[in-house]
Amino acid sequence: MRRVLVPATLVTLVIVAIQLSIFSGLRFAGVVVMVVWLWPLAMGLAGLTALSLWCALVAGVLFDTHTTTPFGLTALVALLLAYSASRLGREGVGDLDSAAWWVTPLLAATAGFFAPLLFVGASFFTFTFSLWRDSLLAAMVVNAVAFFVLARPMARLARWVGSLAGARR
Amino acid sequence: MATDRSRRRTWTLGAAVLATIVILYLTTGVTSGLRSGANIVVTPFNWAVNAIAHPIGHLLAGTINYSDVVAQNQKLRYQLGQAEERANEAWAFSRQLEQLTTQLNVPFVGSLATVTAQVTTVSPTNFAATVGISKGRDSGVLVGMPVVANGGLVGRVIATTANGATIRLITDTNSSVGVTFKTGQTTLIVSGRGPNNALGASSVPLGTAIAPGTNLSTDGLNGGLYPAGVPVATVKTVSLTPGAATYNLTLQPAADLQHLSYLDVVLWEPAA
Repeated sequence: MRRVLVPATLVTLVIVAIQLSIFSGLRFAGVVVMVVWLWPLAMGLAGLTALSLWCALVAGVLFDTHTTTPFGLTALVALLLAYSASRLGREGVGDLDSAAWWVTPLLAATAGFFAPLLFVGASFFTFTFSLWRDSLLAAMVVNAVAFFVLARPMARLARWVGSLAGARR
Repeated sequence: MATDRSRRRTWTLGAAVLATIVILYLTTGVTSGLRSGANIVVTPFNWAVNAIAHPIGHLLAGTINYSDVVAQNQKLRYQLGQAEERANEAWAFSRQLEQLTTQLNVPFVGSLATVTAQVTTVSPTNFAATVGISKGRDSGVLVGMPVVANGGLVGRVIATTANGATIRLITDTNSSVGVTFKTGQTTLIVSGRGPNNALGASSVPLGTAIAPGTNLSTDGLNGGLYPAGVPVATVKTVSLTPGAATYNLTLQPAADLQHLSYLDVVLWEPAA
C-alpha cells in the first residue's frame, strides 16, 4: 500500500489536472464528464479498496476546491463510488481478464448514470436545494456513455498503478 | 472474502473521511485555506497538461474548423464595424443620459466606473455556472459587484483573490435578479436554471402586461444587488402556471453567456 501511494497520488493529480484542463472545457451536450469520479471507480473495480478511497478523497477534494458547489460533495460521491466498486472488485466482478469485455464498461456506465443523481441527493444534506434544477438527466446520460467508453482504459491504468504494489489488497 | 479486521478498517477510514469533509465544510476558514493550498498543488499539473493538450487541441480544432473560423472572422469584422458606428451614434446619447442620471441621482450602470477583465476559467462542474476572471482585489474588484458584458448583465462577484475573482452567472441555479420592464411599476424575480437552460420567472400575476419580446432590466430597488437599468433578459415564452393563476416566463439572457471572453466589473457595491 505505502509503495503504491505516491504513484497513485501522482496519477490522481494528473487525472484532476486533465479533468480541469480538458474535460471541464470539453462539454458534451453542455455536460462535463467527471473523470474524477471514474478514476476511483476504476481503482475500486481493480480491487484496491483503501487505495481507491484515498484516490477518491484526493481527487474529490482537489476538484471541490475549484468549484462553487458545496465543498466536499464531489469527494463524497467519489468515495461512495470507490467503496461500492471496491466491494465488487474484491469479488472479481469487473475484472478485465476474467469477466466479459462489457462488464467493466457496464458497471462504470451504471455508476456514471447514478453519480450526478447521488451528487444532487447529497447536496440536500448541505441545505442546497437548487442543483436539481440544472440538466440533471443530461448529466446522467452523458456521464453514463462517457464512463462506458472510458472504463476499460481507466481500468487498465488502475491495474497498472495497483501492480506497482506487487499484489492486490 | 474480506476479514472482519479489514472491513472494520475500511469503515473506520470511510467514517474518518466523511467526518473530515463535514468539518472542513462547516469551518469555512479552513475551507478557504484548503482551496488556496489545493490550487498550489494542482497548478503545476494543470500547466503540464495544458502544455501538452492545448497545442494538440488547437491544431485539431484549427484543422477541422478552419472554414468556420474564416467565416466567423468575417462576420466579426462586420459586427465590429456596425458596433463602431453605433458607438459613435450612442456617444451623444450617453452623455445626455449621464447628465440626467446624475441630476436624478439614479445609479445607472452607464454612469459607473468599470474594470475590464478577461475570462480565465469556466466552471469545471455541471452544477454551477461560474467563471473566473483575471482581475481581483488589487484592481478594486470586490464581492457583490455586478458584472456586465456582451449586451447585458452577466452575474456578480462571489469571491475574490488579489489577482482574480469568481463570477456567479445569472444562469446559476443559486442566482436571482430583481427586474422590471416598461414603466417600471412591476417587479419580478428572474432565477437561473443552470448553465444549459433558459432563465425563468415564476408567479407572475395574471394582470401583468408582459409578452414575448419584452426586455427586462434590473430594478435597482433600495437594498438590491444591482444598479438600475442593466439589461438582463428578453421574454421568450409566457405560459400559465398549471393549477395556479399566475404566469411562468422563459427568458433569454440579454448577454451572450456562451461566448464570454472579456467582461466589465461594475465598481458598484450593493447598499448594506
